[in-house]
Amino acid sequence: MTEATRPAAPEQINDGRAVTRRAGRERRQGAGLDLILPYLLLAPSVLTVFGVLVYPLWNGLQASTKFYRYGRAVSDIGLDNYRRLWSDPEFLDSLWVTLRFVTLSVAIETVLGFALALFCAREFAGIRLLRTVLIVPMVITPVVVAIVFRLIYANDAGMLTALSESMGGGRVEILSDPIKAFIGLIALDVWEWTPLIFLILLAGLQSLPQEPFEAAQVDGAGPWRTFVDLTLPMMRPVLAVAIVLRTIDAFGTFDQVFVLTQGGPGTATKLISLYGYEVAFKFQQTGYAAALFVTVGLLILALALAAVRLLRRAEAT
Amino acid sequence: MSSTDSRRDGVNRRNLLKGGAGAALLAGLGSATPAKAAGKKVVIGGFVDGALVPFKDKIIPLAQAQGFDIQFLQDEYGVTLEKFFNDAQSGAGQYDLYLLDDPWVPQFGAAEVLEDLGAGGIDGADKDWVKPMVDMGYWPPQTGPRVKGFETATPKLICVPFIGDIQTFTYRNDVFTGGAPKTWDEVIEKGKAGVAAGKIKYPVVFPGLSGNPIVTSWHPLLLSFGGDFFDDKWNIIFNSEVGKASADYLVTTLKQNAPPGVVEFGSDQQGAGLLGGDCGATIQYTGNALVSDDPSQSKEVGKLDFSVVPKKEKAIAQIGIFIAGIPKTAPNKANAIEFLKWFVTPEIQAKLSAAGAIPVKRGAFTVPPAGNRLIPVTLAQFDSGAMPRPRTPDWAKIEELVGIQLNKALQAGTGGGAALDVAAGQIKDYLTQAGYYK
Repeated sequence: MTEATRPAAPEQINDGRAVTRRAGRERRQGAGLDLILPYLLLAPSVLTVFGVLVYPLWNGLQASTKFYRYGRAVSDIGLDNYRRLWSDPEFLDSLWVTLRFVTLSVAIETVLGFALALFCAREFAGIRLLRTVLIVPMVITPVVVAIVFRLIYANDAGMLTALSESMGGGRVEILSDPIKAFIGLIALDVWEWTPLIFLILLAGLQSLPQEPFEAAQVDGAGPWRTFVDLTLPMMRPVLAVAIVLRTIDAFGTFDQVFVLTQGGPGTATKLISLYGYEVAFKFQQTGYAAALFVTVGLLILALALAAVRLLRRAEAT
Repeated sequence: MSSTDSRRDGVNRRNLLKGGAGAALLAGLGSATPAKAAGKKVVIGGFVDGALVPFKDKIIPLAQAQGFDIQFLQDEYGVTLEKFFNDAQSGAGQYDLYLLDDPWVPQFGAAEVLEDLGAGGIDGADKDWVKPMVDMGYWPPQTGPRVKGFETATPKLICVPFIGDIQTFTYRNDVFTGGAPKTWDEVIEKGKAGVAAGKIKYPVVFPGLSGNPIVTSWHPLLLSFGGDFFDDKWNIIFNSEVGKASADYLVTTLKQNAPPGVVEFGSDQQGAGLLGGDCGATIQYTGNALVSDDPSQSKEVGKLDFSVVPKKEKAIAQIGIFIAGIPKTAPNKANAIEFLKWFVTPEIQAKLSAAGAIPVKRGAFTVPPAGNRLIPVTLAQFDSGAMPRPRTPDWAKIEELVGIQLNKALQAGTGGGAALDVAAGQIKDYLTQAGYYK
């Protein structure tokens, strides 16, 4: 009888069963942990998202169906807050101001950003420094940018007034004129956020395949033809992403306008975010403000979906 | 995978979980650590304003010597109301004492988030209070119209006057050489003469920024022309004939005699216009006036005098005092009440006056020497005529709507009366949906 076939002694059998039981228990525990561990690891993130996103959103939706007085919900009014929005001249006015602001600023930023990206996509001495300098405005805190622009625009002691007076001119009135104040706000936004579009488009340009451009060069295509027939079509998806991202962001512009104009003169620069802030915190109409922000959120979502659909259609054709 | 690997993995998972549990336990123990004893700590919240400087510089050290551990937190005016109201409503307990602008009292009163200070032992009936000031601490108001839901409620003292403040008239004594002008016509006429003589560039200056600033400029005009905001049933009367005349006067005559760009002026630019020597006169609160004799802030030391506001029909100014309330969620409530009682004693009020701030007790106005020559003028203005803004929790919205329309008219330089009609329509709609007329 070999060592392998010889029957084991009773104590060895007991030891063997104990080892098997232990191994089985460890396997079961291991399997249990394997099953539960991913959820445990995900739990903090899920709970955080629930706490800071899902719950407030749900709470906001609930609040939007209530009538508030003196900071307290006093009655359920269904969708009345949503209906009231469309007959509220202040809401409609601020929505119109916002749409004009977003359209103009994003359009200018896109054109400028694309031009800068095309220029900086080439390699030449000092280009890295130039690219770095161009993105500096984007990293400055918006409130600081707004304060600096206020110091530039201020009628009494602003830089533009000082410059004008040093050249024999009078005071420069930007923030006291509705059109000039609106243009001044757009100028601020363009200065600060063109770099974002520039950065996205530069990355897109640098990732384009070179073969089509080389072929076009061989075929004798000029720079304009190359841009229209190659660069622009190939950059369309990147452009769409940049425009959608910037549009969503521009809809939420608050800090610059809060510091620069407070929505004035009159309501010339009162963006929807500022009006919503006033309704919620200054006038304590919590339910109405919630309905306002839900509506604006849905409008932005619709715009983003429309942009994505347009992009897909363009890609398909 | 070998058994060794398996064991190592298992141990790691357990360690991870044990680590997490340990961290949670430590965090729990941390939070269970008893808080430091509060002592006589009082956290006071206020907004940035020159009128609070004497309190900050001279009275807080006295309070500290008295055993109070004062923490004074200040914010910009534009965000303070929201911050305090949210603190009171959410029960965050960040402050023990709010220093409010007086038109905010109704909003806090209606929300029932402030302590009854009368029950805390502060006597609102003390004859030494300046009556128009202490009246503003009651909710609902003791006199005048009341909002729905508070028609029959017993007024409670929920705030006490903290620093007196009222609009007075500041003028250049080298331009208005015969003393303070009594009427608006005199202000413009003599101001123009001052411009012609090269002493000043503009006869007047005022804040014209949309919202609170322009309404603050217009309200004394409205009162001086004999108008008012509401009748005793909340019917809008500010767009009456005299009301419209006052608004037209602001957006035409006063604008034409003010610096260009007055549409975007807040109180800072107003102060700069006067202290910098460009402008001849203004109606202002004490914040800027208090620094008129300070050579580090004024180019016109010795040339600025104060008086009761000019009149058309009456010489009435807007009250705008700092008023103190204790939130129900204050962590150091007893200390805050004790501090307030100490602050309004005749002795401390006299010291406040000597420090240059406007006191809130009559006795302190006459204690020599007043720290600032503006102090007796403010008492004269209170006695001449002083009106608070309407006592409604919806004042912020009303002020916003009137302010936007007046600012648009000021920008256009015409149509003040029409602007009031537009604002009146908007306010009527707003108050109707808020239940004012049911």
